[in-house]
Amino acid sequence: MSGGRNWTVRLREAGVKAMPPERLLPDGQPAYMSSWIYTFGVLTIAALVVIIASGTILGLKGPAWWHYTGVGHFFNSIHLWSVELFFFFMVIHLWGKFFMASWRGGRAKTWISGAISFLIAIAAAFTGYVSQQNFDSQWIATQAKDGLNSTGIGAFFNVLNFGQMYTYHVLLLPVVVVALVSAHILLVRRSGIVPPLPLPELGLGASVAEQPGASAAESAA
Amino acid sequence: MSLAAIINLNHPASYAHWHFFEMSVPNLIVIALMIIVFALAIVLPFPGSRRRRGQS
Repeated sequence: MSGGRNWTVRLREAGVKAMPPERLLPDGQPAYMSSWIYTFGVLTIAALVVIIASGTILGLKGPAWWHYTGVGHFFNSIHLWSVELFFFFMVIHLWGKFFMASWRGGRAKTWISGAISFLIAIAAAFTGYVSQQNFDSQWIATQAKDGLNSTGIGAFFNVLNFGQMYTYHVLLLPVVVVALVSAHILLVRRSGIVPPLPLPELGLGASVAEQPGASAAESAA
Repeated sequence: MSLAAIINLNHPASYAHWHFFEMSVPNLIVIALMIIVFALAIVLPFPGSRRRRGQS
């Protein structure tokens, strides 16, 4: 039997072609990445890992656990503050990438996947706030109901339905966020880290294409 | 031993209000912190960047 006709072989070859191992896990980074502003993407991912880990523990014990145990309150606080840090780092990452026009060099999909991740993460955080099972969550849910109904999107879900919102929060939206963030990271690895905007008057930016990790578009330029 | 927070947050947030603009003070603090951290991330030197630049 010919191996080339096997769908698993074709899938593997397509995967290796789309994402060569040396780009997926590089052993060097461009020198222009020696700036703190390039660390906020990975800080966002680190916060997401803590969110998923603490959320898993909270999910195992149930949504009311944090109300009556100190340990539950501790993990709920870890979950809340990791979300705060997630958005804190993600917004700074967004500002940094916006001001260096990171969609350059064929990186439009990377930019769009990051933007959609941000929007879905807001929905994930919102469903978390309405899953707290306290007066705060009831207040947020009733206010949000009016706001969402005024746009018409409230026809598709009911933010006062705790079971529905809890399922969105612990399963549906986290799956979408993790999938989008994974795609975002793979696209970053495939296209390379965006170089700084060229500053020809300072003699900077000309040798960026020579750096390891720079995309094929920059290397060809 | 008291485990109370250093800053008492157990009360409704204060609001800053100026003409049409209205925002809670905690949100304003977070936005100000993000701007400060963003500026520092651009200005502060990254460890090893000077040495690497000197080599090239």
